[in-house]
Order: sequence, then C-alpha cells, then structure tokens
Amino acid sequence: GITFPERTKLKFMDKVPAVPKVRREPRQLRDIRGPSQEATDFTQGQYGILALGGGYLHWGHFEMIRLTIGRNMDPKTMFAIWRVPAPSKPVTRKSLGHRMGGGKGPIDHYVTAVKSGRLVVEVGGHCEFGEVKPFLTQVARKLPFPAIPISRDGLEQMRWKEEEKRLNNQNPWTFERVVTANMLGMRKYLSPYDLQLKGRYWGKFFLKHRL
Amino acid sequence: APVAKMAALSGGGAPWRRGWLPALQLVRRGSKAVTRHWKAMHFQRQKLMAVTEYVAPRPAIPPRCRAPRKEKVEEDNGYARLLRRQVEEVFRDNRMIAVCQYNSMPGEDMVLMRHYLRKHNIEVKFILNEIIRPMLSQSKYKNLLPLFVARNILLVSPETKVKEMLRVLKGVPQINLLGACIDDTILSRQGVENFAKLPSLEAAQGQTVGALALLPSQTSSLLQGGSAHLTALLDEHIRRLQAGETGNLDEPTSAQSSGAH
Repeated sequence: GITFPERTKLKFMDKVPAVPKVRREPRQLRDIRGPSQEATDFTQGQYGILALGGGYLHWGHFEMIRLTIGRNMDPKTMFAIWRVPAPSKPVTRKSLGHRMGGGKGPIDHYVTAVKSGRLVVEVGGHCEFGEVKPFLTQVARKLPFPAIPISRDGLEQMRWKEEEKRLNNQNPWTFERVVTANMLGMRKYLSPYDLQLKGRYWGKFFLKHRL
Repeated sequence: APVAKMAALSGGGAPWRRGWLPALQLVRRGSKAVTRHWKAMHFQRQKLMAVTEYVAPRPAIPPRCRAPRKEKVEEDNGYARLLRRQVEEVFRDNRMIAVCQYNSMPGEDMVLMRHYLRKHNIEVKFILNEIIRPMLSQSKYKNLLPLFVARNILLVSPETKVKEMLRVLKGVPQINLLGACIDDTILSRQGVENFAKLPSLEAAQGQTVGALALLPSQTSSLLQGGSAHLTALLDEHIRRLQAGETGNLDEPTSAQSSGAH
C-alpha cells in the first residue's frame, strides 16, 4: 500500500519565511538537546535519513538535499518528502571585527532545529533499499550532525536491539538508576535534565554506544 | 567562583518542596550546556559514565570450547578448475613427465634452460601443489604424491629424450630431478639415469625382434636341416656327375668331331 504524493520531487524550501521575523529570538539551544519528540517514525515513505545528533539545518543544507535526491531518484517510480519544516528560527550574527557589546546583532539567516532520532527526509516508491542507500549516505555525510540512511525494518531492528541491550545488560548499575536515586550524591555533578536524558545525550551529541 | 543565584530565581521559603533547583547556580563558569565542541565532563561524571557502561552477557560455554559447527566449505574456484583441467591434459597428452625441485633461479638462466629444453620439445610447467595433490590422490599416480611438497616444476614432453634432458639439467645446478613418470611407469632418480643409459627405441626394438626371432629361426633351421643337407649333397653329386659327363662328353664329342673330320 504505497501512496504517491502529488509531486514526487522534494519541495523547494525558502531561505526566509514568507513573513520574516522582526523580533530577534534568544538562542534556546534546548531545541537541539535531547531526543526528538516529533517525526520519529515513517509516514508515507519506506526509507529515510535518521539524525543521530542535534543540529541546525540552514538553506544551504536544504538545497543540497533537494538537488542530490532530485538528481539521483527516478521521479516516475520514487517519491521523496520533507520531514523537517522550512527554516523559521532566526539566527543573528554580529558584523566581523567588532568588540563585544552594542546590543544583539541583526538577523543573519534562518535555520530549523533538528534533534536526535528525527527523520529528515523520507523516500519511497517502487524501489529497494540498495538503490536508495548510496545517495542517501551521500546526503547523510554532508549534514551538520551524524546521520544514517535507514529503512522501516532497519529502524525497527535498531529499536529492538536497544531494547534487548537494555534487558540483557549484566551491569547492575545503570545511569538511570543512579540518577533517580541520587546515589552518592551524583546529582551534584549532573544536570537536572539528565533525569530525562539518562546519560545517552551530552550536549547536542547522541551517545549511541551507551546502554 | 560560584556566584549565589540571582534573587529573582530564589524560591520563597522552601525550595526543596517545589522542585529541584541548584542552590548555587554556576552562572559565569564555562560554556553553555549545548556546545559545538565536545564539552569536557566533570571527573565524577566521567567516573559515573565509566561505571554505568553496558556489559554484554557472556555465554555459559565460551565459544572456543564449543566444537566447530561446520567445516569450511571450499568453493570451487573457476580458476582452480581451469588449472585442474590443464594438469589433467598434461598428464594425458605427454609421455614423459619429470618432477624436479625448483630453487629460485636467475631469470636469464631460466630462459636459457627453457630454450634448450624447448629445442628437444620438452616444456616446463609450473604446478601448484594444492591443485595437484588432490588430483593425484584420486588418479592412479598415488606414488607421485610425496614428490609434490615444496616448490617444484614439471618437465613434460611427448617424446622420451632423457639423455638430453639430463644433460641440460646437469648444467643447471638449481634444479634437481626428483622423479619421473615415463610411459605410465614411475621411476626414481636412479631409474631415470638407467633409462637414459638404455639404447634408443629403434635399436631396442630391433634387438627384441632379433631375440624373439632367434628361436623360431633356429627351429626352422633344425627342421629343414635334414632335407637341406640332403638337397645339398644331391646338388653336389649332380654337379660332380655333370662335371664327369661333360668331361666324358667333351672327349667323345671332341673325338666324334675329330673322328668326323
């Protein structure tokens, strides 16, 4: 049951949203930190690029993804859809060579925040993973965060393996257990966010081999 | 140094009721929580991460105590098959196959040796032991198996020119003859030398024919001996008579002829 969207190629994403923001926003790096809550599962497509770390995607990245995928896929048999919104978060930059102070800089460009575990694009259609994998890896390498091409089965397997690891871990001491019980006063050295992050995330990085 | 947290954030009277907020917020110290670089962890945190790592379950029987499940199935390489076919051809086509030990030779010496052998229609073939050993064990040349151990070459030819081959090999010290299979007979080194000392095939054939034909010829001569002797005697006698008659005839004929006159 594969449903093709109207346009099989990726939509063009604007550099600047239709209504450019006037008010400069604070940095709010918490939109990079931690696991993603949205776009973690496949909807229409069968294969996609999974982000394994947090980061910001700007227009250059969007264009690269759009053109590479558009060049390598067959629009008649395959389709691709975005799983990230167009850049909407304004990022300011001060002009080069000035000292600190003088207020916040003007808006330079817009970005979208991506957290770990989020799908960036989805590809589907009458094709095999082997056909799609080469150009998806090509795209994944160029993204600002670590990413891998993945299929539905691959994602399921990954999650199942993680679960297995969690269950058959022989170490009686887990990060979660230590943090929730505040053993040895460890919470003095940890962030309150570590209660949810449970030692798998550190800054924008996702520690795949933990647990 | 840690600065006391800002007054605006301090809880009214009982901060331990409402939620967890650090008593001393480290405001100016270091970078933010999310950085582009890998932020250095506090040592205690590093220790905690090291302690809480994943420990894989160990199987009850270590894998090396377990017997190997299946032996490595050898894939039949196309190249190996080709080489095997070539070796079979060699064994079928040529009459003389000599196995020699091959120590590394300088290139030009090798070329010269090959040239000389080629003049006597002897070809030099390099054989891989791992191909030839299974082949020999299956065929009838089982006794050639111990010869194919180290680096070796085969000298093959459709004719048996052992003398010339030995002469060439004597000039080349790096190649030692181990054994040969001539006309499906396996010969050792001494056997080959003896074979070289034998006369050539034609002479040998002639000799054999002569030897074989000796007996029947003797028999026939014995059988015909009596009658031959008799025939010879009779012939002798006739000759003598003829000689006597002609002498007598000559006189009367001469007398008649003289009397007639």
